[in-house]
Amino acid sequence: MIPTEASLLARAQAGDVDAFEQLSGAYADRLFMLLLRLLGDPEEAGEVAQEVMVRAWRGITRFQGRSSYFTWLYRIAVNEANRALARRERQPPSVPLGPQELDLPTSPNDDPARQAEANELRRALAAALAMLPPPLRTAIVLRDVEGFSTQEAAEIAGVSQAAFKSRLHQARLQVRAAIGDEVLAVGG
Amino acid sequence: MGYADDHQWSQRHLSHYVEGDLNNRARRRLDRHARDCADCGRGLRALRALVYAVQRLDGLAGVCAPATIFDRVRLAAGGPPPQNP
Repeated sequence: MIPTEASLLARAQAGDVDAFEQLSGAYADRLFMLLLRLLGDPEEAGEVAQEVMVRAWRGITRFQGRSSYFTWLYRIAVNEANRALARRERQPPSVPLGPQELDLPTSPNDDPARQAEANELRRALAAALAMLPPPLRTAIVLRDVEGFSTQEAAEIAGVSQAAFKSRLHQARLQVRAAIGDEVLAVGG
Repeated sequence: MGYADDHQWSQRHLSHYVEGDLNNRARRRLDRHARDCADCGRGLRALRALVYAVQRLDGLAGVCAPATIFDRVRLAAGGPPPQNP
């Protein structure tokens, strides 16, 4: 029988590291992708992911279920990503949301000109997102890329919903300003 | 309220509009203004296009976490690291 998340959590809180690994392992890939989007560097994202898991393991007895386990884990990840970003000088990520990694879908039937436009938009978005201050980048990644609701995303970011919305709107306006309406193909 | 007031207010609330955060009255105010203001109409289209494009930035799908992700947990727990396949 497949153990439930609740039973894995209870066992992990009792010190069962295998249960912790099974519980958290279910979210490991998604968590790593989030870190990659926020940090840009696969190596650094891997290191931070390990730190996230260590912090979760050490803090799991304090997890009281007020949010989902996933939300709790993600919040640790965002905190650790911000800590990592604060440690290094701000610079454009080397990989995150990078042109080669992004997959803004284009139809196989799209003509070359249309595909070129999509690629240009992809590159422009990647560069604009990479240049956002970390709190704004976190907001747009959680809400628009990861697809969390405002409530979930605010909880993960550790701010009020009002503060989160403010960050999200600032992020979108800055990205719009950086890439320009022509690239967004909305012209006059 | 004049056109200039409406314009400044609308520019500040374009993203809130796209997010669905405006109440009905505010939404109508921005709708009314954007009908006559090319700049705000373009702003709305730009933000909608932006959100649409960012929502589709999913090129990391299929990326896997490193197999070492629990190694430090194992060390902290005092156990041996898991055997990676």
